[in-house]
Amino acid sequence: MSSTARLQPRAEMRGYRLAVIAALVLFVMTPVGLIIYQSFLDAPFFDKTSRFSLEAYDYVVTDPEFWSAFGTTAIFAFGMVAVAVPLGALLAFLLTRTDLAGRRWLEPIVLVPMFLSSIVLAFGYSVAVGPSGFVSLWLKETLGLRLWSIYSLGGMILIGGLSHVPNVYLYVSSAMRSLPSDLEEAARASGASIWRVSLDVTLPMVLPSLIFAAALNLLLGFETFGIPLVLGDPSGIVVLTTYIYKVNGIFGTPTYHVMAVVAVSLILVTLPLVYVQRLLLRNARRYAAVGGKGARAAPLRLGASGQLIAWGLIGLWLTVSVLMPIGGISVRAFVNAWGEGVRLSDHLTVSHFAQLMETPSLFRGILNTLALAVIGGAFAVAIYLMIGLAGHRNKGPSGALLDYMVLLPRALPGIIIGLAFFWVFLFVPFLTPLRPTLVSLFVAYLIVGLSYGLRIIQATLLQVAPELEEAARTSGASMARSWRDVVVPIIRPGLVGAWSLIMIVFLREYATGIYLMGVGTEVMGTLMVSLLTSGAMDQIAALAFLSIIFTAAGLGLALRLGARIHD
Amino acid sequence: MTSRRSFVAGSLAATAAFSTSRFAFAQSLPAGYPADYAALIAKAKSEGRVAIYTSTDESQGQPLVEAFKQTYGIGVDYNGLGTTDVYNRVISEGAAGQMGADIAWTSSMDLQMVLAQKGLLETYVSPEAPNLPAASLYKNIVYGTSIEPVAMLYNKNLLKPEWVPKTRAELVKLLQEHGKELKGKIASFDPEKSGIGFLLAQTDLASTSSFWDLAKAFGAAEGKVYGASGAMREKVVSGEQWLAFNVIGSYALQWQRESPVVGVSFASDYTAAFQRVASVTKGAPHPAAGRLFLDFMLSERGQSLLASKGVPPLRMGYKGPLDADEMNKLTGGNMKIIPVDEKLANNMAPRFRADFFQQWKKAMRGEG
Repeated sequence: MSSTARLQPRAEMRGYRLAVIAALVLFVMTPVGLIIYQSFLDAPFFDKTSRFSLEAYDYVVTDPEFWSAFGTTAIFAFGMVAVAVPLGALLAFLLTRTDLAGRRWLEPIVLVPMFLSSIVLAFGYSVAVGPSGFVSLWLKETLGLRLWSIYSLGGMILIGGLSHVPNVYLYVSSAMRSLPSDLEEAARASGASIWRVSLDVTLPMVLPSLIFAAALNLLLGFETFGIPLVLGDPSGIVVLTTYIYKVNGIFGTPTYHVMAVVAVSLILVTLPLVYVQRLLLRNARRYAAVGGKGARAAPLRLGASGQLIAWGLIGLWLTVSVLMPIGGISVRAFVNAWGEGVRLSDHLTVSHFAQLMETPSLFRGILNTLALAVIGGAFAVAIYLMIGLAGHRNKGPSGALLDYMVLLPRALPGIIIGLAFFWVFLFVPFLTPLRPTLVSLFVAYLIVGLSYGLRIIQATLLQVAPELEEAARTSGASMARSWRDVVVPIIRPGLVGAWSLIMIVFLREYATGIYLMGVGTEVMGTLMVSLLTSGAMDQIAALAFLSIIFTAAGLGLALRLGARIHD
Repeated sequence: MTSRRSFVAGSLAATAAFSTSRFAFAQSLPAGYPADYAALIAKAKSEGRVAIYTSTDESQGQPLVEAFKQTYGIGVDYNGLGTTDVYNRVISEGAAGQMGADIAWTSSMDLQMVLAQKGLLETYVSPEAPNLPAASLYKNIVYGTSIEPVAMLYNKNLLKPEWVPKTRAELVKLLQEHGKELKGKIASFDPEKSGIGFLLAQTDLASTSSFWDLAKAFGAAEGKVYGASGAMREKVVSGEQWLAFNVIGSYALQWQRESPVVGVSFASDYTAAFQRVASVTKGAPHPAAGRLFLDFMLSERGQSLLASKGVPPLRMGYKGPLDADEMNKLTGGNMKIIPVDEKLANNMAPRFRADFFQQWKKAMRGEG
């Protein structure tokens, strides 16, 4: 019976599945293909004189600046992993395997850094712990301490690493939750200290999730943009994404072919990482199915001093990666001057917010961001669900193709996907009327958020036990009907949770709009980047503050709706 | 989406209300305008909107924009972009036949000249042209709109008073002699990221003999580079940096009024001054409204409105804040105004740029 039941659905919904997957391939491959095509031309593809050439590759591989940016990016990415993975693993251990006090309500808080855009973080840090930041000045006056510069590669790595701890925590903690505790207890009983147990027993058992988290963070490190743009660029620290951003200025003409080559070089680095992730994900699922049958884990006792140390560590980390940047932005948003010899109380003002309201493009940006996040987020969840269903219990080759299409956009930074869609909406005749509308940004956001969004949806879909679908099927329901009447109603709460998470992802997005944004389609994150080029720091701070407020509201909503931030 | 649409509808309604109340004013033509100008106004009104790509801060352009809306009842889409973005957008959109801007208004005179040479800008004989200096006009395509000398911005609490440079020569000397004490404390424009930064560097290079000495000393002192004057202001006010050079002077004067820690100094031996330039684009979606806006910017009223936000007018005969006398006094009469002419496009030759940046990066590493 089971073999026919498994065969049948594939045949039945084949048309739907193929249509969805074909549409997905079109939406993903158009920007990716355009970038690859552009990289083999000697001028912008829309220039009539452009022809096939390896000139751009030749320029890039012989440009010492490219190699230096490449090296810096690699150091940054690996450094970030070196900071984030041990801390994230430790955090996961403390919150899932021990009796740490208050771990229940601590859990949502430790995820907060993940939801702040790195450009907001970077601005916040420069006001808080920059050379004239209020924390730096306070430390200097009271303790005589001098922080080392955050405008260095080391500072960037530390900030990037600390802000990516939650990404590691998510994967490692979900692996740790499914571990049986008998091995740990045995080690404890034989007299091993709790830290010994975590290092020698717990960690080896969750090694796949550690490798997965490392691969993911390496990928995010290679694509990072906000932190190097704000903190590194003034000191001449250039990474691949800021190299792309600046290469136009160096030539004085649109050098899309050179930008495309750099993007291709990024794909070459990130695609293997994506592949590793896919391998691990498949193995992890198999592994979890075996491990999940273990007895309910009994938490390890930390003891009084252990509690104190653990709380001290977590408190310090939260102070540095949440309180400081948010505090920095909050201060900057309400003053017009800060720094050495400036009394903040003399400079208090709400005029930056008044400017946001009075300046049409900024005000529109706020409305657009909210519309994209709330309405666009809902549409995105609907579309991700359609894609998710097409891949649901789809073990055939089209399912594998779908997996790759979902992961592929992750190999590209948002700034490049935005640029590719800018071209698509500029040059594909029937699409041009959509360019000055939010639809253009929505489509790009949809692709940028694809892999994250689909992971949430897939996790939700997997919660539905196959028996339920099979029961509907044996009672004569069609596949479509079993989805409509069984699967979707069951996962409805999960969908609402997914919506709130996608909302946050769209709220904080800033890189995708850099080339795509125009009059009428301003969004807050990208406005911050473009205001940086005109130097309007007051408005940037006000926008960043609002974006934190919106994100907090989104996160509150997500928790209320019971969103599962875990896989 | 809905909220955006209703917002646009709201602002349209507001401008419509203004247009009826100011109708009489709009009909009286300034002296020297051709009789058929009323036809241009009527056509512009029927177009209803004008779109501007500009590197000028929205807060600075706002009085001009508001006055234009009130006078003609034409909506304004003000798109504040960096200088390179203004240029890139016009190029890409021009190539796609999808020009989104009616007016390109930028500080990057050289990039604008390239746009003119690529045929992406429209020839338009403005009735205001006779009121502009000859060096502010290129073939009725590129119009200068303001004169912008650059200044040095410093933090009064941190930079020793005896160190404040009064001349370009003193600036070079300060960086050479006190580079160690000023390590990481000096800021300037990034010629890679900012079109105006590049233009200023080229002007310094062509007009002074000390450019590479300055660049080398700046690099050796681990100087920081930024894409905008506003970013430098932030750093100087906070004390992260003590001195920034080649900052847009009109902004600097404004910031000096706003903050007690900010000092401004103009070099009396040599001060480069660029012009913000504006043009009507070819294939503009609202060609008449674009022309009308250009004329309005150059008119006596438009220039005074710009001056009210610290943008120094260049219109001949203008008297008032930031007029020619005042600017000359500030700069000791040694203002080197970059003319709007074809030579600007030479800056864009790829070979020339590559060589310049190679040497610049070497200087930034403190090498010779």
